[in-house]
Amino acid sequence: MWIRFSLVFAAALLGWSLQPATLWANDRAKAEPAPASEAKTVIVPFELIGSRHMVVEVKLNGKGPYRLIFDTGAPTMLINPRIAKDAGVTDSEIKGLFGAGEKTIKTFELGELKIDDLSTTVMDHPTVKAISQAFPRIDGIVGLTFFARYKMTIDYQKREIAFVENGYVPVNTMANMMKLMTVKQGPAPIVAAAGQWGMQVDKSSDDTEDGVNVVNVLPGSAAAVAGLRQGDRLLTIDGRWTDSVADVYQAAGAVPAGREATLTILRAGERLELKVQPKLGF
Amino acid sequence: MRAIVFVLGLLVLSAGSYAQVPPGQPPGQAPTPKELPSYSIPFKLTNTQHIMVRAKLNGKGPFNLIVDTGAPALFISTETAKKCGVEIDKRGWANFDSFVLEGGVEVPKAKGRVEDLYQLKAMNGMGLPGVELHGVIGYNILAQFRIEYDLTKDRMVWTRLNYTPPPLLLQPGGKGGKDNTLEGLGGMMKMLGGMMGKKANLEARPRGFLGVELADTDRGVVVTNVLAQSPADQAGLRKGDRIVSVGGRECATVAEVFKRTNRRAEGEELQLQIERDGKEQELAIVLGKGL
Repeated sequence: MWIRFSLVFAAALLGWSLQPATLWANDRAKAEPAPASEAKTVIVPFELIGSRHMVVEVKLNGKGPYRLIFDTGAPTMLINPRIAKDAGVTDSEIKGLFGAGEKTIKTFELGELKIDDLSTTVMDHPTVKAISQAFPRIDGIVGLTFFARYKMTIDYQKREIAFVENGYVPVNTMANMMKLMTVKQGPAPIVAAAGQWGMQVDKSSDDTEDGVNVVNVLPGSAAAVAGLRQGDRLLTIDGRWTDSVADVYQAAGAVPAGREATLTILRAGERLELKVQPKLGF
Repeated sequence: MRAIVFVLGLLVLSAGSYAQVPPGQPPGQAPTPKELPSYSIPFKLTNTQHIMVRAKLNGKGPFNLIVDTGAPALFISTETAKKCGVEIDKRGWANFDSFVLEGGVEVPKAKGRVEDLYQLKAMNGMGLPGVELHGVIGYNILAQFRIEYDLTKDRMVWTRLNYTPPPLLLQPGGKGGKDNTLEGLGGMMKMLGGMMGKKANLEARPRGFLGVELADTDRGVVVTNVLAQSPADQAGLRKGDRIVSVGGRECATVAEVFKRTNRRAEGEELQLQIERDGKEQELAIVLGKGL
């Protein structure tokens, strides 16, 4: 395990160009998104086990059902070697770099949902094992590469998950990780507003209070028309916190020109709401 | 192995071992949907493909937290807990006087475990997520809501459920539930990250400000307004000017102008070719501060 681990870092340090996209090309979501009119809701029940994890039953390559933890914090799928072998997933091994254990599930079924060629990590995860020892057997994790393809609603009270296809194509997790670890870090990214507001904000580094200061409002601008004034403390844009200058640009980046957004400000100790309609420009 | 530490996700056990415990109670009765308060919560997908929301704890923050059904509870890093000035009990748990999510969700008496999860340590140490991660939101908070996730949107919907979720079944005790096999990875990755000069690139620079309103017209991209006192105004750009090119690249639409200018920071010089009264001319404008 440690050998593999250091090999990867050797690769990273040497800056190998790995072209992971082609290595794991078969990981792409192949399911065509259903047109909105045909998109139907599929309800899948889950069990809430004693460790308070959600457990769902899935079929892999028609075999199973196997019990997996449904984990919104997992970027990908994971199954243990036992069910990988049982369902014939092991045969599909891509003898990839460093024996990454990245394999493909030809058909993955959760309730009425079915996906072809879903990539998965095969590994005996210590946490999964630990949970399995205290509770009924668990054999892996369902992660983002599966659920990202759906608008998904988790209801802990009803113990069910509702899925509607949304056309989203998840990225290849392994390739993405490789890219993140090998790519050189550039300068800080630039954040841009989507429209023109006509204002300037600032915040000193020792200012830890909520919001930023409005230090300039250009006459005739969208911000001026909305009634924003120099000296106002800007707290939120469109329901997003503006606790740093970058926050302001990020929040304004989600408001396209012409769409009205609500600003919360503090003026003379009073909380006010203003409506701003940013212009097309910058 | 490399990816495994991330891919594994944030599947965590609460500290303390689980004895044999009965399964959770059966599902509760369906609520009356109309009365349930609903919140639109901004989220971001990190570079590591984790769903991240922002929270203020005890009025401090915002902190970046992963939405994680694979965690039994709210987990907060020790450094973050320190910033919140929260008291940590002998078993490593803390009660937060206030827990507010960006978008408006408030969780009264939120209980969280103060612990440095190796997964977060590893990712932060390598600067992989693109933001610093301060913790995860797990079952004890998530179960109070019906939550809609849709990665084609930039917000998720949290609806407060009118019931009390089954409690956590925690057994006091040492490190029984921890996965010691992977525990060492966090520090290791952090160290390697340091060696490679990799660290979280947490700063974001604002795009520079010009001060023009633009419109797509028959004759191309036209300036429809120049804000007084703006860099565009000071450089002599006028209403009616047509933008021919930006930085030597022709722009036929406003979208193309944005594409050529969206990654230009404050203080950078923009080369504009414009057409005024049938004549073309060059303008060099230093982008100012603002949006």
